[in-house]
Amino acid sequence: MNNRLRVLRAEHGWSQQDLADRLGVSRQSVNAIEKGRYDPSLPLAFSIADVFGLPIEAIFLRNGDPE
Amino acid sequence: MSADDRPAARAPWLWAALYLAGSAIVVTLKLTDAIGAWTGLILFVLTMGLLIPMVRSSERACHPNPAIKRYNRRVLGASFGYVLGLGIAISLFKNVALPAPAVFAIALLPTLPTFVMIWAMARYLAEETDEYLRYRSVQAALAGLGIMLVIGIFWGFLETFELVPHVPAWWVLPVWAIGLGIAQLWIWARDR
Repeated sequence: MNNRLRVLRAEHGWSQQDLADRLGVSRQSVNAIEKGRYDPSLPLAFSIADVFGLPIEAIFLRNGDPE
Repeated sequence: MSADDRPAARAPWLWAALYLAGSAIVVTLKLTDAIGAWTGLILFVLTMGLLIPMVRSSERACHPNPAIKRYNRRVLGASFGYVLGLGIAISLFKNVALPAPAVFAIALLPTLPTFVMIWAMARYLAEETDEYLRYRSVQAALAGLGIMLVIGIFWGFLETFELVPHVPAWWVLPVWAIGLGIAQLWIWARDR
């Protein structure tokens, strides 16, 4: 699954550790999600959406969807 | 100043190197009969004490979450129990004529700490709140299991066809642990 996490994080001027602290997860988790190596669970995806104040579908995209 | 704020006196790898060097010296002394079995066991356990500062300096450097810290402490405690239990069991078996029930009991001395290690892994997976770290650990554990099965099955058939010597079944744990370690190292390198 593709996502816009890196772009959104950059827009907020947050490091991976900053975002990880806001989500209560490890920096490795943010890194793995950003690189598309790991698809988060629904609860974590909702947390990410809450942190950015966006709906989930504005952050996570189906494979093939334009970013 | 909290424990985490203190500067790391020595890097974890230095403690690991000291531990490996100390173990090598003790093994060499034992193999050359320079020391007896009990002295060797005591020296080996004392050398294992170097693992405590190694784990602590590693935790100061990596800031692991509470679940990982608990796992480290449980496995470290079990490792001490394993070495002590193994040393005592072997010494008793070699030096004392024991009836079968007593042999059964001393076989439990090194066995029970390994059960604690397996329990520690299960507890870690239950207590880890970071889903990605939990997923990574499951991946590494499965890789270790795969490596253990491949080596075990292949070795078993080589043994059946009398090409290799017999290996005691307790080797499954060290082989699994080595596989786990290799997988964790690979995942760590991939995640950098």
